Amino acid sequence: MPRAPRGSGSPRRPRARAGTPRETVQSGSSATPPRVLDARPRKVTRLAVLPQPAALGECAATVPRFRIFIIDSGWNSSAHKVLQENFGLIRELQKEDPIYVLSKDQSIEFMRHHQERIGREPIIAVHDLAAMDKSGTTDFHGFRLHLGLLRTPQQALLALQNFTRFLSTHRQSVDLEAEIRTDLRREGLAGAIEIILHHEAREIGE
Amino acid sequence: MPERWSDYVAILMSALALGYLVYEIDRRRRKLHDIFDVLDADDAYITARLEDMVASGELQPYAGATLA
Repeated sequence: MPRAPRGSGSPRRPRARAGTPRETVQSGSSATPPRVLDARPRKVTRLAVLPQPAALGECAATVPRFRIFIIDSGWNSSAHKVLQENFGLIRELQKEDPIYVLSKDQSIEFMRHHQERIGREPIIAVHDLAAMDKSGTTDFHGFRLHLGLLRTPQQALLALQNFTRFLSTHRQSVDLEAEIRTDLRREGLAGAIEIILHHEAREIGE
Repeated sequence: MPERWSDYVAILMSALALGYLVYEIDRRRRKLHDIFDVLDADDAYITARLEDMVASGELQPYAGATLA
């Protein structure tokens, strides 16, 4: 898989399109014609209205933390059907974060460029905007689920439910990477204990 | 050194059991990482492509309630 050179990560936020007017804080009357001579940065003083702590919590809950991408080229698989049947519910549960669904054509084109992932779709990729703001894409910047690797509808549904729960419960996480790695380690340890205790194989990952 | 052949068998069986345990744990770990994992530098190219699609307007937040 091609690696991006360090420091050449993707843009952290969508770039403003050329010609798109930027939001600016204007001083003075709106009827005043714009002055172009004085280009020095001016200190804009205005009363800052600080949100109350409760409002801060509300803000944090509604500001998107993740961008969710669904790539599905349409294999006739259990995972594909489970995703289609449950998408509405996921959409409702993840209202705060935008979901981008690649069309079948876009997904196929995407997979043509990433052939090592063929057969793993549907893929759900989650970009952590907070991590991308910090370090771009050169380090941890999200997580992904290869739903297509799960063969039965029950496995796919369970994985989808776990994934959605994970998204919901970690929206406010400060160090998401550490929490994911801890969870993965815990899963590994749980698997080891199960083997030792001769329990039945876990539903997910088998 | 073990003196009886049964000791050798016991050691061999223990080694096999331990080997199987290590193998099984590793297999499950790999399987889990195949299904669910973090995005890091290895995935930077794919991430950049998706973010570019959003930035260019090629991808818009999905507004529908069901997948087509």
